[in-house]
Amino acid sequence: MSSLSPEQWQKISPHLEQGLTLYGEERARWLQELRAKDAELASQVQALLDDQAEAMRAGFLEKRPATEALTSAAVAGETIGAYRLLSQIGQGGMGMVWLAERSDGRFQRKAAVKFLSLGLAGKAAEERFRREGAIVGRLSHPHIAELLDAGVTAEGRPYLVLEYVDGEPIHRYCDEHKLDVSERCRLFLDVLSAVAHAHSSLIVHRDIKPSNVFVSRGGQVKLLDFGIAKLLEGEGSDGSATRLTHEAGSALTPEFAAPEQITGSAVTTATDVYALGVLLYLLFSGQHPAGPGPHSAAALVKAIVETEARRVSEVAETSSAAEAGRVAGGRATSPEKLRRELQGDLDTIVAKALKKDPKERYASVGELADDIRRYLSSEPIRALPDTFAYRARKFVRRNRLAVALASVALLAVIAGAAGTLLQARTARKQRDAAIRERDRANRVVRFMTDLFKVSDPSQSSSRNVSALELLDKAAKDIASGLSKDPELQAQMMEVMGTAYTNLGDHKQSEAVLRRAIEISRDSAGPTAPETMILKDYLGSALAQEGKFAEAEALQREVLDQQSRSLGPEHPDTLETLGDLASTLGMAGKFQEAERLGREAVDKDRRVFGPEDHHTIAAMDDLAATLGEQGRFADSVELEKQTIEIERRVYGPDHLGVLMATGNEADSLYLMGRFNEAQQLWEQELEITLRVLGPNHQETARATYNLGCLAAIGGRRDQAFTYLNRAIEALSPIRIPDIKGDPAFESIRTDPRFAALVRRAAQRGAGEAKCPL
Amino acid sequence: MAAADRGDSKASEGLFAVLYKELHGLARRELARQGGGVSLSVTTLLHEAYLDMAGRSADMFPDRARFMGYAAKVMRGLIIDHARSQHAQKRGGHFEITSLKTDAGNAADSRELERISDALDHLARLEPELAEIVDLRFFCGFSSEEIAAMRGTTERTVQRKWEKARAYLYRELRTEIVT
Repeated sequence: MSSLSPEQWQKISPHLEQGLTLYGEERARWLQELRAKDAELASQVQALLDDQAEAMRAGFLEKRPATEALTSAAVAGETIGAYRLLSQIGQGGMGMVWLAERSDGRFQRKAAVKFLSLGLAGKAAEERFRREGAIVGRLSHPHIAELLDAGVTAEGRPYLVLEYVDGEPIHRYCDEHKLDVSERCRLFLDVLSAVAHAHSSLIVHRDIKPSNVFVSRGGQVKLLDFGIAKLLEGEGSDGSATRLTHEAGSALTPEFAAPEQITGSAVTTATDVYALGVLLYLLFSGQHPAGPGPHSAAALVKAIVETEARRVSEVAETSSAAEAGRVAGGRATSPEKLRRELQGDLDTIVAKALKKDPKERYASVGELADDIRRYLSSEPIRALPDTFAYRARKFVRRNRLAVALASVALLAVIAGAAGTLLQARTARKQRDAAIRERDRANRVVRFMTDLFKVSDPSQSSSRNVSALELLDKAAKDIASGLSKDPELQAQMMEVMGTAYTNLGDHKQSEAVLRRAIEISRDSAGPTAPETMILKDYLGSALAQEGKFAEAEALQREVLDQQSRSLGPEHPDTLETLGDLASTLGMAGKFQEAERLGREAVDKDRRVFGPEDHHTIAAMDDLAATLGEQGRFADSVELEKQTIEIERRVYGPDHLGVLMATGNEADSLYLMGRFNEAQQLWEQELEITLRVLGPNHQETARATYNLGCLAAIGGRRDQAFTYLNRAIEALSPIRIPDIKGDPAFESIRTDPRFAALVRRAAQRGAGEAKCPL
Repeated sequence: MAAADRGDSKASEGLFAVLYKELHGLARRELARQGGGVSLSVTTLLHEAYLDMAGRSADMFPDRARFMGYAAKVMRGLIIDHARSQHAQKRGGHFEITSLKTDAGNAADSRELERISDALDHLARLEPELAEIVDLRFFCGFSSEEIAAMRGTTERTVQRKWEKARAYLYRELRTEIVT
């Protein structure tokens, strides 16, 4: 029997239909009649009626085909861009995730396709999504899962195609492999390098959590979903957030959200630092900073925004012995050992990353990584246990640091520093013939002048020559050229050390000063006054590097030696006293810093007189210490006195006046007294422009600070004028962190802001925030 | 659609493609909305597809009945694709140590569905109305009553046509097995 032809069917069909309405006898009679007319037709109809009866008995076509997985079927095999979907592998807050492979067979590589359960409003939004996807796609780092494609399906659903990582979330990987604390730290450094890379491309993750930090089977860290948040970020034409942003925002994982994400404040790189802190807390203690879960949403919000997290080393105390044992076991140690391991540096590092105020966290992911590296190599970390670390960095001891200049002004700086030094030396070594010192001063100046002569004239006239390069050359020349006069050589190295400090290269400063101490020890003796004062300077350089403990120990030793051999009120002793106070201030030991600072001011007044530059310097330092403790009003008061004396002694245009003015303005700014701060900076700018010129660091600094105030006051045009000008003039080592600075909240969305951030990034990566 | 009705095969293909895409999209959206892995009522899917498409291109689908006819045929395609892929996945590349019974059962299901589909295509050339009813009832799960309402006819008529189609299909499938 073969298939029926259309002609056959046309003939059969009406008869078959009629036959189906008849049953039993009736049908048999009807068929009989039909057979009489057309036997072949009748038998065909009869056969079909029999088939139908049999089909009915067999339940043919009664049971519908299974459709449970139909919806998946509708998707599996589907092609998205160049990828064919294979199977669903996940379902997240943002949508479902599919395993996929390239449909053109060009690469074997598997990919993960993520469908976002968000609607995109309109063609423009789709266009932007694709464009942003392309930008994020350029993010290339061995520890970042690549974004291969981003687009919108014909149905309007946005999707992302990501590198597929076959592995598991980092916390599970660590536990399964029983990684100890150090191993966890090392793995975490890879996470940090990935985040730092993204930050340098101005991309903030915003949703760092264990399920986004994978470790592949090969032990490679891979961050997923980088830039996704940014991709979803968008603004409507009226500047308001789109529905998309809103939905994406609510898709955040609350457990890993930073306080500012919950309160709706600006999300910056500091937001990622916070989430990294949560992750680190979890990796170390097995627990969330908010304590053992589960948490209600409200409790979690309260914990994140208000409650200071328990120290990570103390987590075990709150859990049962069994739980503590399990957690420690996963870290290849015992609960007691784990507690001791976490106590101290790691406590401090985690706490600093978890600060509620973004400004108090690590200023960059790099800084966090740096401290972890320091911990691993048993060097002292930079983070200070619970101090006003941020403010401590804010108040520059300007008198001591003098000023970093553009290279054209370098000669003046070095000669000036040499002059000051020699002046101090004169006071110190009263037995030395003044004439000999003057000769020496002349030789110093000649040496410096020669330095500039020998350097390539085309370079030295160019403002691109860095001051550091010149110093490096000078350091070499001193080492070789002045070897016949070790005393002068040591002194010159001291000058160089100071100059390096001024330019912010404290490592170089340390190296040069150590060499100077060696030379001086050999030529003058280990406890000679000149050796001692060099050690004091070395202490200051170490403090600048953050090596507070070493600095403090060294300066205490020097102070002790000087008090014994030179007397407690000798100028050298007093200088060390002031420097030690400053070191203590930087180390966050404010009370002792203040006590020693007051002692230095008192003694300086008595020994040098109330209007001597030593006294003024000590007053300025003390004012800074007060500011660091948050005692802004006291600080401003003292700074006012200092400025008053400086005006009288040096005249209104003296640098010292400017610096003290700057410090006072900083205090006022930090007290929120913006109008007064503005007045002072305007005064400062007026003087610096006149005396130092437009390219001087102090000019740039005052300009920048006025830019901060303009931004805060909502004066956008003025803010950009100031900030752009300042960025050009600031020395590369002083480039601030514009993007992460909350002061620029109101201008962040201005298109000029991105350009400004880019220019700043091109000039250097800084971390300082307003006020500079 | 008018062109497709006249048998213009290009127009017909175009319509099929549009619908196919639409149903894919619907299924996916529905899946995401329900959180994945949840089975969907095909009926719901088709209703939604219709509402969606009717809203967008009223001139393309003059009435719901004809839309449903087309859509049902598309749905058949989806189901058979799925059965095929399931089968392929079971066999694809891996060692076969699964029990023969399940495997054979699945394979038979998918082969039978394909045969039914082929026979339906043939029937559609003879009497499209019958094939459509099979698509709606067997593949999409509409009841005779629903189909009757859709087509503005009586349930009895739908039932009769269904039996007629069933007779034809049973004959075709039996034939194929014999030959």
